[in-house]
Amino acid sequence: MSAKRLTRCVDIAPLLVFYACDEVEPQEREQIDAHLASCVSCAAQLREEQEMQSALVSAFQPADQLDPSGALLAQCRSELSELLDDLSAPPLREHWNPFGWARRWMALRPAWSATGLMLVGLAVGTQVALWIPGREGSFGAGQALNVKAAAPLTNEDLSKMAVAGVNFAPAANSSGTVQLQVRTEQPIVLSGSVDDADVRRVLTYVVMNGERFDPGVRLDCLDVLRTRTGDKDVRHALLAAARRDQNAAVRMKALEALRDSTTDDAVRDTLLEALQHDANPGVRVEAVNLLVRSLEREGPGEPPVPGAVPAPEIAGAQIPPDPSVDRVIRALQGLQHRDPNRYVRLRSAAALRQIGPREEQ
Amino acid sequence: MATVASLPQLDERCIVAEAQTGNRAAFEELVRRYDRDVLRLALNLMKRPEDARDVYQEAFLKVYRNLHRFRFECSFYTWLYRIVTNVCLDHLRRRQARPEDQAPESNAGHADEGITDFFERQREHRPTLDPERRLFGKEIEARIATAMERLSPRERVVFEMKHYQGLKLRAIGDALGTTEETVKNSLFRATRKLRTQLGGLR
Repeated sequence: MSAKRLTRCVDIAPLLVFYACDEVEPQEREQIDAHLASCVSCAAQLREEQEMQSALVSAFQPADQLDPSGALLAQCRSELSELLDDLSAPPLREHWNPFGWARRWMALRPAWSATGLMLVGLAVGTQVALWIPGREGSFGAGQALNVKAAAPLTNEDLSKMAVAGVNFAPAANSSGTVQLQVRTEQPIVLSGSVDDADVRRVLTYVVMNGERFDPGVRLDCLDVLRTRTGDKDVRHALLAAARRDQNAAVRMKALEALRDSTTDDAVRDTLLEALQHDANPGVRVEAVNLLVRSLEREGPGEPPVPGAVPAPEIAGAQIPPDPSVDRVIRALQGLQHRDPNRYVRLRSAAALRQIGPREEQ
Repeated sequence: MATVASLPQLDERCIVAEAQTGNRAAFEELVRRYDRDVLRLALNLMKRPEDARDVYQEAFLKVYRNLHRFRFECSFYTWLYRIVTNVCLDHLRRRQARPEDQAPESNAGHADEGITDFFERQREHRPTLDPERRLFGKEIEARIATAMERLSPRERVVFEMKHYQGLKLRAIGDALGTTEETVKNSLFRATRKLRTQLGGLR
């Protein structure tokens, strides 16, 4: 190691950047300290260096502030899942290609094709509009009308509505604003807080009647509802989605939204059901993770293994073993041996080992 | 028998190995385990949610396609971190090559208002929260953002990883696949450039 002595300002000055952010060797630090004690100019430069670094750090906006609700993360997950689906799907083969000749012809004559298409478009646009009955006086071509949740939506409205978009702007105080573009008799935009009755009715309706809505819309609704899992209706809707939704990403997200309510019996039942009966291995793994998490949260005080430890007597009262814990362990044991997916079997075995130490308490 | 403390480590190896066999559930478990960190890193480096989203997708697709090449010579997290950092670097380079993608120039109107020294102003605005000073803080933030945009992608990534992620230079070198000395040079240049840019406020 070189033992060059750092005594001159010209040697010390370039090191001050690293000294200020604690990236110098101990030996260098000693020499810099000694120099700073006697050099006013280098000491002043160091002060400036430190002030600039602290100013830069204090102006930094942490990533958590850029995505406080986790909505971006959820969106990323959902998009990645779709991309992976596309990658793993076998390539589509065109068995039947009725207008293949037309496409080939157009590909070889782009200018003629463009002109032809424009003429056809013009003709269709000018002629068809005349044939549409009752255009006069109707609501301006599907333009959205801003209504601030004034007229409550009826059940009939809900049963006929289509949801075109869900925008959620979460706020630091967890209230947040939701904007729902809904089409009933006419397009309306519902905006309000998550606690607004109409907003919440629409959100829970979408989640509970998944088959009628686009999976993306359902995922967006779950994003909003996950902020209110303390509410009974919301939890009911999430449970319904976790059990019945056709789309695995939606079921998984519904389960994930319930991650802080896993001590609730209904939630645990749903997790167990997903664990044993869900067709998608990803959902089963999520259920395993949440169940393990719920047992960890409950703490090691309760013996989880069926009939392994007799309940202790405390002040004359016997604490009964928790039957739901028992069921979780039995389900995991079953999964460990029988699940068709090898990874789920491994994950269940690992989960049982994770829970294992509870037996010894 | 494995101890409880060593289980998560074993578990990760097992998940990676399983994902390498093509098991989608295992891969998704890996994603869920690390994607919060990945998104946080991408947001820190890219600053824009839409760019961070692109980095997230691209990084995990790279992992998915190249997982069979992972040989357990380092931890999976280090490998993943390296991929994410390199994807961020590529995006920053592309962004720099597109002038329309640069951060907008901040409002320099205050230059005429008798505000003299950048560091003096820092001292003033930090302790309180009154609106005037908050506005001033916003202006400083905008200037810093502009100055950061003018760094080269590598300088920027090194600076952010050092000061905002709190990583040591050696770890940054590992993540970028380069030496500590190179990282040191980048940090030095970045600091000098920022100093020149922000010193212009005087």
